Amino acid sequence: MATTTAQITLSSSDLLTDALALTATATLYDAGTTTGITQTTGVARKTTTATDVVTLFNAAPHTEYGANKAHKVYIKNCSSTRSEYLTVTINAEEIGRLYAGDWMFIPWGAHDTDNDIKVTPSVATSMTFEYMMFISA
Amino acid sequence: MATTTAQLTLSSSDLTSDALALSTTATLYDTGSKVGVTETSGIARKITSSVSEYTLIAEADYANDKSHKVYLKHVGTTASDRVDVKFASQSVGRLYAGDWMFIPWNGDTDIKLTPNVSTSVTVEYMVIIAS
Repeated sequence: MATTTAQITLSSSDLLTDALALTATATLYDAGTTTGITQTTGVARKTTTATDVVTLFNAAPHTEYGANKAHKVYIKNCSSTRSEYLTVTINAEEIGRLYAGDWMFIPWGAHDTDNDIKVTPSVATSMTFEYMMFISA
Repeated sequence: MATTTAQLTLSSSDLTSDALALSTTATLYDTGSKVGVTETSGIARKITSSVSEYTLIAEADYANDKSHKVYLKHVGTTASDRVDVKFASQSVGRLYAGDWMFIPWNGDTDIKLTPNVSTSVTVEYMVIIAS
C-alpha cells in the first residue's frame, strides 16, 4: 500500500480578531480501513473553449470506481480572470462555483451512474482546469 | 477587506512512480471579485449519537448564488466510522474518520450529514461567507 496525504491550511491574520490558522491532514485510505489507497487517475489538465457541460468523472464505465467507497476528487480552476468560473454539479445538483484560482477537494461516493461529477465553464473563451481522483477500494 | 487563504498539499512518495507533490493556494474572495471575504461562521464542532440525517448548514442562513466555501472534517479515529454528505437530496460522498473536505457552495442547498453509527461522532465545520 502507498502513503498518500492531503493537507489543508486555512490562514488569515485579519478575518477575525483571533487569527485563523487551521491545519488538517488526512491520510487517504481505502473505505473504512487503514490501508492506504493504491490507485489514482493522476493529475489531468483540460482546456475548454465552450460553455458546454464537461463530465470529469463518470462512474458508469469504470468498474474500478466502486460504489460507496472513499474516493477523493480534486478540481482546480486555473483561470486568472477572476470573474470566470466553473459550475460544479453532481448528478443534476449544482454544488457550487469554482472561480479563478479556486480549488476543491471532496469525497465522492460514485454510488451509481447518476452521480457523475460535471463542470460547466462560464465563458467560451479559453478556460483551463486540473482534476484528479484518488480511487478507493 | 481581509486576506484569507486556503492551501492544499497532496503528497505521496509511493502512490505512483512519479512522486506526488501538489501544492496550490487560493485566496478567498467575494463572488467573482478580488475583494477578500469578510465573514465566516467560525469553526464549529458538533457531536451526534444517532444515525439520523441532520442539517449541518442551512441554506436559509446564507445568500444564494455566492462563492461560499465550506470546510468539513470528521474528527473520529475509528476507521470504519463515517458521515454521508448530501447537498439537498444529492449524495456527494462519505467522510471517514480523519477525512476532511473543502468545497465551494452556492448557498442554495442545505448541507446534510448522516452518521453511520449511533455512538459519538464529532465533526468540525466552517463556512467562509462570500458576498
